[in-house]
Amino acid sequence: MTVLILTSDEDVTADMVVVHLNAAGVPVVRLDPADLTASVSLSGEFVHGSFRGHLSSGGRLVSIGGLRSVWVRRPGDPAARAATPSAWLTEESAQALYGMLRGCGARWMNHPDAARRARHKPWQLRLAQQCGLPVPATLITTFPRAAREFAERYPDLVVKPVSGAHPQDPPRAVPTSRVSPEADFSAVALGPTLLQRRVAKRADIRLTVVGDRLLAARRTVAAGPDADEVDVRFDPSGEPWRPAEVPPRVAETVRAYIREAGLAYGAFDFAEDGDGTWWFLECNQSGQFGFVEVDTGQPIARTIAEWLARPGPGDQAPADDARSTAR
Amino acid sequence: MQPFALNYARPAVELEATTPYVYDSGLQLNVLLDGRVAACDHALLRELGTTTSTAGSKTHFDD
Repeated sequence: MTVLILTSDEDVTADMVVVHLNAAGVPVVRLDPADLTASVSLSGEFVHGSFRGHLSSGGRLVSIGGLRSVWVRRPGDPAARAATPSAWLTEESAQALYGMLRGCGARWMNHPDAARRARHKPWQLRLAQQCGLPVPATLITTFPRAAREFAERYPDLVVKPVSGAHPQDPPRAVPTSRVSPEADFSAVALGPTLLQRRVAKRADIRLTVVGDRLLAARRTVAAGPDADEVDVRFDPSGEPWRPAEVPPRVAETVRAYIREAGLAYGAFDFAEDGDGTWWFLECNQSGQFGFVEVDTGQPIARTIAEWLARPGPGDQAPADDARSTAR
Repeated sequence: MQPFALNYARPAVELEATTPYVYDSGLQLNVLLDGRVAACDHALLRELGTTTSTAGSKTHFDD
């Protein structure tokens, strides 16, 4: 049976997994839904209670019923590169592709329903706290007065995007940034603003979860002029990521989070404070892992490949149950 | 005036327009000019930053 990978051509991180699947002799079909109606085709007939059909890409033809797993890695918007793209065609193509795949019985990394829910940062914070992970005080508001009051209570605070999305036209990044308690908060009225108590961290933690497997990496906050850089993605210190042990209590709670979220994969970001406590910041359900593997040598890609290569739907629960597909 | 969070925005860091590899649809992998699989060259990946968690992606916001 075949592993279906939905991602863009240029996704070299997906390549790291394909290499392992190839080495294991596991059939792979990789396609970008953006190429639907161009170089990607689909067909399925509703027969005896399910859709039976095929996907075609790059000369490869795969039966929808012959999929053992689906890895939703970095797919483009369906039909985005069609000859005549439109929002309508994208919606039609998304419904056709993902609608038929939902009924194929394959295991998902991650199921679209679970993925959509897991992207919501407020939901993440709530689930993390429920599972027992420490979460910094957080406010999301469009009330300038609420922001000012929060800043009075937590004068050492940061701002970050609620969604993690970044504005375009022109392309900009909105890193997690320190905010002065004296800041003018009137612009909070113009958009939901996420303010959070800053954790005085001595290290960043990236904990990659693949099924039941936890692979943690730690990056020390370097002393010096850049020590105030809150967002590790913008830290120019060049400190490498190193493998780290996961405290047993954290391991237990993270597994509970993944289970409750119905995810098969998650990339957790923590801030480690001076006492060694790991403060939950977020869990990216499709977070990058290549840079961690490159620095640490941890076998993340191989672990993902092994998860994707497990036996097919013969002994699996129905695919529409997001939680049942994330084992 | 703009939303508060955008006061902290920076220009997005775009990857180099050209990467030293191209997608081979037969292999379903990106390959270097000498035919090697790009994903197997970790030193190159580190140098290019193509597997890095980067803010500012146009299409994906999971880092």
